[in-house]
Order: sequence, then C-alpha cells, then structure tokens
Amino acid sequence: MSANRWLTTGNYFTSYKDEQRLFFKHLDRTIFSLFLTALFVWPLLFHLSNKYMLVIDNILIAVVAVMGLNIVTGFAGLISIGHAAFVGIGAYTIASFVRVLGDSHVLLTHAWPLMIILSGVVGALFGAIAGLPAMRLKHLYLAIATLSFQMIFTWTINFMDFFDQGQTIAVSRVFWFTGKLARKQHYFFWYYVILVVIVIMGFGVRNLLRTRYGRCLSAVRDNDRAADAMGMHPGLTKVYAFALAGCFAGVAGALHAYVYRGVGIESLSLHESIIYLAMAIVGGLGTLNGSFWGPAAIIILELQMETLAENASSLLPSGMNLATALKPLSFGLVIVLFLMFEPRGIANWWRIVRSYTKLWPFRY
Amino acid sequence: MKNGKMVLVNILFSLMIVFVFAFQAQAGEVYKLGLSLAITGPTSDAGDPYSKGVEDYFRYANDMKILGNDKIECTIRDDQYKTSITKRNFEDFLDQGIVFYLNYSTGSTLALKKDFEEEQMPVIPASFHAGNLIDSNYIFLPIASYSAQAIGLAEYIVKHHKGGTPKVAMFIHPSAFGRGPVSDVEKAVKAGLDMEIVEIVEHGKDLDNTAMLKRLLSKNVQYVISQTIQSPVATMLKDASRLGIVAKSFGEKGKITFTGCHYTGGNDLVALAGAASENYYWTTSYIVTSEPGAGTDAQLALAKRYGRDDKAANSHNYANGVMVAQVATELIRRAKAKGKKITKENLYAELQDMNGMNAFYPVTTVGPVTYSKTDHAGVDTLQMYAVQNGVFHSVGRPFIPEYTGKIK
Repeated sequence: MSANRWLTTGNYFTSYKDEQRLFFKHLDRTIFSLFLTALFVWPLLFHLSNKYMLVIDNILIAVVAVMGLNIVTGFAGLISIGHAAFVGIGAYTIASFVRVLGDSHVLLTHAWPLMIILSGVVGALFGAIAGLPAMRLKHLYLAIATLSFQMIFTWTINFMDFFDQGQTIAVSRVFWFTGKLARKQHYFFWYYVILVVIVIMGFGVRNLLRTRYGRCLSAVRDNDRAADAMGMHPGLTKVYAFALAGCFAGVAGALHAYVYRGVGIESLSLHESIIYLAMAIVGGLGTLNGSFWGPAAIIILELQMETLAENASSLLPSGMNLATALKPLSFGLVIVLFLMFEPRGIANWWRIVRSYTKLWPFRY
Repeated sequence: MKNGKMVLVNILFSLMIVFVFAFQAQAGEVYKLGLSLAITGPTSDAGDPYSKGVEDYFRYANDMKILGNDKIECTIRDDQYKTSITKRNFEDFLDQGIVFYLNYSTGSTLALKKDFEEEQMPVIPASFHAGNLIDSNYIFLPIASYSAQAIGLAEYIVKHHKGGTPKVAMFIHPSAFGRGPVSDVEKAVKAGLDMEIVEIVEHGKDLDNTAMLKRLLSKNVQYVISQTIQSPVATMLKDASRLGIVAKSFGEKGKITFTGCHYTGGNDLVALAGAASENYYWTTSYIVTSEPGAGTDAQLALAKRYGRDDKAANSHNYANGVMVAQVATELIRRAKAKGKKITKENLYAELQDMNGMNAFYPVTTVGPVTYSKTDHAGVDTLQMYAVQNGVFHSVGRPFIPEYTGKIK
C-alpha cells in the first residue's frame, strides 16, 4: 500500500493488517465523515413534514432490522423467513413492560435507551433459541423452521390476553433532557436516535466481519463441512448468527414501538418478514451497504406504488379490484427482476461506481 | 394626452384590484378534512363504496352551496388497511391543517387514539367498535357500536324465540373488531338477558364450515350471531344451505337462524352467498335501497348525479360514507350559522351539542344522530332486515337495544 494514504489509487496491501483497515484511503474516511455529518446536519437546515420524517424513520428502522437479517442470511447463508417475529420480540418486550408497569412508567419514558438495549438482548435470546434447529437443519428445511417461529409468534400474540390479543398496546412519549418530547419533535428526535443506533451497529457489523467470528460466518456459509474441518464450530456459528440477527431485530422492534408509539401484531406479520427478506435481496445479500440500499429502495417503491394504485383505483373497474393487485405485483416483479438480472443487489451497483472512481485521477 | 393615458391606466389598475378582491371574497373559505381508508387491499369491498359516498356528498355540498361560498376539501387517502400507512396519512393531514378527520378501521382507530387526544382532533371512524370510545374524548362512532348491534340481535332472538332459553353461537372475526362485542353480549346475559351462549367461533380462512355447523347443530344451537365481514358469512351460509339447516322462518326448530351485525350484510352478502342468503337477519342503523323511502331516493339520486354504478349506489357502505360526510358538513354549517370560526375545537363543541332539539336527521339512517359529552355513538336506533327473494327488507320497526344501557 502506498506510504501516502491520501495519494493511493488502488489497494496494494502489503500486510494482513493493511487489509483489515476500516477505510483503505484517507479519502474514503473523509467522504464517509462528510456523509455522516450531512446526515446529522440536514434536518437542522431543511424542514421536512412529519409525514416524510416518519417515512425516513421507518426506513432507518428497517435498516437496523435488515442489518440483522443480512448477518444471518447474507453473511452466514441461513435463510430466515421469520425476521418480523424477531422484530416483534423487541417490540413486545416494550409492550410487556407497558402491560405490567403502565405506559407512563419511568423505565419506559426516561430509561428508554436501557429498554432498547434490553429489547436487543431479549431478541438475541429468542434468536439463539430459534436458531437451535440450524444446528441440524439447512436450506429449505431451516427456512420452514424459521417460518414456524413466525407462526408461533403470531399465534401467541393473537391469542394471549396479556398482549391484548394483538391490538395496539400504546407506548408513551419519552423524556429527553429538555423534558417530555413534544409532538412536533417526535419524528425529528427519533431520527437522530435511530441514526446513532445505525452508526453504532453498522460499525459493529463492519468490525465483526474483521474478526474470526465474522470470518466464521462466511466460512460456514461457503462450506460448513470445510469450516468444520478447519477447526470452526458450524453449529455454534449458526446459533450466534441467529442471536445477532435477533439482537438487531429486537432493537429495531423497540425503535418501532417508540416511533409509532404503540405495538400491534399487524406490523409484525409474515408479510413483513417477506418484505425484510426482499429488502435484503434488493439491497444486496452479504453486504453491509446493501442493508441501507434495500430498505430505502423498497419503501420508496412502496410509496410510489401506493400513489399509482390510488390513482389507478379511480380509473380501473372497481369490481375487478385491479388496483389492489398493483402493489404486490410490482413488488414481486422487482424481486424477480433483481434475482434474474442483479442477484448481487443494489450494493453491486455501488461497488461498480466505486471501482470506476477508485483509481481516479490515475485510472490507467 | 399623456395625462389621459395615465388616468386610464389608473382606472384599469383600480378595477383590477377591486375585481381580484371581489373574486377572493366570493370564493369563500376552504375547510380541509381528511379521510384515510382501505380503497385497495383487505376490506376494500366496503372501503371503496364508503370513500365514494364521502366524496360524492362533499362534492354535492360544494355544488349545492350548502355552506354558501365556502367549500369543503376532503383529501381521501388509501391506507390499504394498514395502521402504519394510516398513521402516515394522518400526519400528512395534520400538516395540511385539517379541522376534522374521518378514519376507517378498528385497528388504526385504536392505534391512533392517543394521537387524536393529543391533537384534540374530532374523529368519526367507519369502525363501530365500542373499545374506540374507552379513554377517548375525540372519537365519535357514526352509529350504534358493534356491541349494541350484537346485543340488539340477542334481544331480538330472546324476544322472538319460542320455548325456553335460546341457544346461541357467536361467529366472529379473529381480531379486536370481531371479539369486541363478545364480552358485552356475555355481560347482557349476566344482566338478565335469557339466552345461552353455547360457543364462540373465531373463524379463520376456512373454505368449508360443514364440521362447525354440524357441531353447532349437535349442541342444539338455534341461532348464530355473526360479527365479521361478508365473505366468511357467505361461506357459512352456503354450507348451511347445502346441509339444509337454514331456518325458513325466524327461530324454526331443528334449524339455525343466522343473524349478523353491520359489516356482515348488505348487497355484497347477497352477491356472494346467492340464494343461500335467504332468511339471513341483519341489523344496521342505515337505510337500504331495496326499501322505498326518502333516504333511498336521495342516495340513488346522489350516486346517479356523480355517475356511480349500481353496485356502489346500492351499497349500505355508500350510505355509511354519505352519512359521515353529512354529519361533518352539518357541523360546519352549524358552526358557521353561529358565527364561529371553523376550527377543530369549534367542530368538537358542535358535535357535543348535537342532541335533543339539535339532533341531526340525515335521511340515510333509521334514526337521528345524537352526540353529547357522554354519548359518542351517533345513531342509537337499529333496524332489523332480512333477505327475502334476494333483497334485504325491513322486519319490524326500528328499535334501541335495552341492555346496552343496563351493562354500562
């Protein structure tokens, strides 16, 4: 690698340590720092309506959840179609405290960072339990096992009085240093909270991939028998992959509960699990930045299709209810097209853009 | 010459200013309202005509200048029956500065209850779930709650049943919407309503109800009270008809009489169940277009005026949408008549005054709309209908369930 890391135009690693760097060039670090600063500063400069702040918060929550799904499905190669249930575990951890202590209890309103961490821990616990079948099952069989977890979760919530049979359990507004969060600050405040969570967890994933535990995930994904022969423990690796995914999902669930100020089963169904999976695929499985692209792409697509369906419903014959079909059709089509033409997801487009600019200004 | 030109320019300029101001004064004010509902997705069969009813009546109010030169601008958004989208729509409406909000589903009404309280926004949902009113000051049901409807059906059964205590099963939707009335009917039974609830069936997505119906019959169940949507009821009625167990007359021995609340009936049920819907008993507070009357004429004329097809024109959910739009328009009209500014606070106050001599009589319901500080259910009166020769006809006079008051 070049001695001057400002001038380097390629990746010329001379040691493993070089290869393990978070940022290969100073330019990368600078661009990333500027981008991060922009993310923190723009809401202060431009006013965005509550509607769009809610959409952005929603994208960021999905980013947290999809980062988790990417660990288990992308990096460890274990199909999980019950991810919304893990998100639900986090959300219902908050809801359980609401049911026991009341929604205005100080633990929920003041110690909310602790509650978010706790939701992550509970999510990890359930993730590890749900991941136990992964020690014996692979591929489609494992997918069915995770699907069962989703079914059990939905059934449990729907039929337990403690969880109000899936009806929305209200969560109060939280307190900050300035006092109780006002309605107008709500989405704005949570934007920053979720952003901080994403930065911490994003670096967490990036660092995980640089450790032996991260490399174990990839090794088990590529060939678990070979990984076993190399002295790794595929079973344990799979369980902690699920535990990590559960942890991320649990945190996302808690954030969802606080942002929407309520927890209901409707937002945690199998349909949502499929959407998380679609986000991971469209973003790019097995890539960290894919976890950012996927949720943004899918949620923006959903918004556009909503508008289209709404407009189409007034034009198409209502008896056939064609407008209803527009959204799932377009959704399915996007996933099929990505699987066919860009199985590496949007992250691959990002990789191509980066490779074009990598050698700049000395491309050849 | 130069002075003459300047005078002409000045006159033209002055005329222009007068014209612009006069035009603005004539244009009147615009009152913003919002409606979020399922136009596509689950329950859109009800949401679609409902939205058309709301849209048509507000257009009518504007066209007929019911509010003088002032106009109502109601933004209608599709939420696909998803609470997260309803929440987003509501935030959007708040950004637009709405003074009154119309909501749709039970789930989203319950989920947004705290938002309504915080925003002090008067709301009329299309959900008649009694639970909407718990810990809420700003939600107003358009008609009697599902609980009141189910109790009304139970009272009707007890009143018309011959020989002993009637055995009843409840066939409900597996959600808050379906489960809500169960506990209230049970309370009514405890309070003295002479009826035995043998079984409560939460239906799934079954395509065949034969086993359930045979089980109910083996338990001597004579009546079924349904609180769900039309499609599962249609499946049940078809199976019952195939088994030959549908009562030909109310309470026929050895057979089952099927009854249901608002969202189980209407023309959509007849279309789905066909001949199997004969003798299905249904209660609602709305008029049906198969019964002649001023309400029917008005509803059909409104639908015709705005080019709606027969399906929408004859839907009780179209009437449902028209009625909530009528209430909202009436509130604004009354507030205007009193010289009040049209704000959510004033409309809320007007809603609470809508009782006694101030009760509102829309022709689309079988009774007056009454609200007060303590009464947040609009039309308390119910009408029993039954399918005869493929259409719903009224059975008896409109009534108010007695036990809804007794179990409070």
